[in-house]
Amino acid sequence: MKPFSSTRALIICICFILLGYSNFSLADEDTDALNTRIEALEKQLDEVKNLLKQQVEQSATKAEVQAVQQEVAVAKSEQAEWKTFDSGVHLAGYGALNYSAEDNSFNQALFAPIFHYQYKDLFLLESEFEIQVQDDGSTEFALEYLTADWFMNDYMALVAGKFLSPIGQFRQNLHPTWINKMVTAPVGFGHDQAAPVAELGVQLRGGIPVGKTMNANYALYVSNGPILELNEDGDEIEAVEYNASTDDGDDNKTFGGRVGLTPLPNTEIGFSGAFGDIAIPGEDDRDYDVIGVDFFTRWKNFDLRGEYVRQQVDALVTSAAPDSQEWEAFYTQLSYKFLSTKFEAVARYGDYNSNHADQEQEQWALGLNYLFAPNAIAKMSYEFNDGLAGARTDQDQLLIQLTYGF
Amino acid sequence: MLNHIKNIRCDLNRNIVKFGFVSFLMLFSGMGNAADDDSKAGNSIRGAKEWADNCSRCHNMRDPKEFRDDKWRLIVSHMRVRAGLHGQQTRDILSFLQSSNYIAVVNNSEPVKVANTPDVDGESIYNQTCVACHGANGAGAIPGVPKLSERLSKSDATLLGNIKNGLQSEGSPMAMPAKGGNPRLSDADIKEVLIYLRQTFK
Repeated sequence: MKPFSSTRALIICICFILLGYSNFSLADEDTDALNTRIEALEKQLDEVKNLLKQQVEQSATKAEVQAVQQEVAVAKSEQAEWKTFDSGVHLAGYGALNYSAEDNSFNQALFAPIFHYQYKDLFLLESEFEIQVQDDGSTEFALEYLTADWFMNDYMALVAGKFLSPIGQFRQNLHPTWINKMVTAPVGFGHDQAAPVAELGVQLRGGIPVGKTMNANYALYVSNGPILELNEDGDEIEAVEYNASTDDGDDNKTFGGRVGLTPLPNTEIGFSGAFGDIAIPGEDDRDYDVIGVDFFTRWKNFDLRGEYVRQQVDALVTSAAPDSQEWEAFYTQLSYKFLSTKFEAVARYGDYNSNHADQEQEQWALGLNYLFAPNAIAKMSYEFNDGLAGARTDQDQLLIQLTYGF
Repeated sequence: MLNHIKNIRCDLNRNIVKFGFVSFLMLFSGMGNAADDDSKAGNSIRGAKEWADNCSRCHNMRDPKEFRDDKWRLIVSHMRVRAGLHGQQTRDILSFLQSSNYIAVVNNSEPVKVANTPDVDGESIYNQTCVACHGANGAGAIPGVPKLSERLSKSDATLLGNIKNGLQSEGSPMAMPAKGGNPRLSDADIKEVLIYLRQTFK
């Protein structure tokens, strides 16, 4: 065996030392890399923590979500409440202020509130008051109508109380000042003229589909009927008063109604009539009847409507006012809306015939309306009147009206 | 003698009318209360047409958003009696008016998630929803409704916004309700309608 030289032993030792050093150096490099990665991860973790913190701050808590859900539920129920309810009330109506150039006077201040109360889809209470300033400065307060309406089914409603006469269209649907395109009512369609105004009794009203495109509407009534107004001497019937009196002087009811057909959209033709007995208190009954025809149609921006009504009281030889009387009126009205403006032009012709010369009147009327809104209108009209010479019915007049419906 | 004959004739006529009156009452009072029947719920699309066809026979058209839902309900009940509408017409008109309010609220608050594809083509939508007021020829079926051809010079973005949110045209007595009063129209449906309008009424 060769002896282990000291040189060789030294070399081996140096090699071991070097080898060990190199291993230690490699371990330090790994640690640095690891530290770098840890630092990066810590940084990322901080970022995630911040993000989470932000999200927590921005997102709703469970309690907040529940609160929002509750709010939504309340909002839904409130929305449903507005749509469906058992009892509801509503105030509508209209008002008007008139100026007459002929009188150089503000000659009408009118307020007509309409009250509605509805119970489910079964009952509706309707009432319109008419509050109007009089010539002497006093205020007239009148009940225009008051009805309790029972919706019996889809096609019929029973209307009981004081109701606007369904003879024709003007009195029942067109007389409100914001609907009437002229300042005044057509001649013969005012109070105590040719067209009945109101009745006290019961009425059946409704609509019926006829085929796929046509509808019919109807109104049939039984009422106390009108009463007769005599002249100062008491020997002539002056007018038929429609006060919807609670006293049926003749003890016989008046029957009447109207049937309307809408063969086309925005077109309607109606036929109406009434008959019954009427009497001067203490005298025998005499026959009374009314007939009427009305129509409406639209073509482009033109509206055309018209109405005819005739009211007759028969003669009675045993009466203090034995002669028969007849009142007859008709009008036709054409209106045109100017597109891209708020103006509307109106022309109306009316004729009112009576056995009394002081009542008769023929009228041409031209009007220009400015629509601030569909229900807020300024009207100006000029009426060319032809009546008994010297009488009010013979005076032309310029009228201005400011009216609104709500 | 003549008077006697006349009296008999009058009495006969009155009896006929009374008979007709009572028969009419019995005939229609047996038809049941439609308010209890869910199948007769209001349809806003039909309602838009009924509203356009019936309401302006007597008065100027009011803005469908003018009154709150509960107010419309009372007003429409009043108009049912006044205009001689039948129950289904009334429910349809009410549905249209209340839908107009609902669309207005939604459009004024949060954006609504809408379908990406139209449910039907533009012509069908026009004939169902728009024709009642704008007419088959686009010239306007109601006074104050402007000719569509006069409005199509505006940009798509403007017109889409007008259709979606509703519009009060200058000089028109009534406002167009949002989405023409049809809440079911999606954004895609409205785009289809606009394409149809541009093709048809340019």
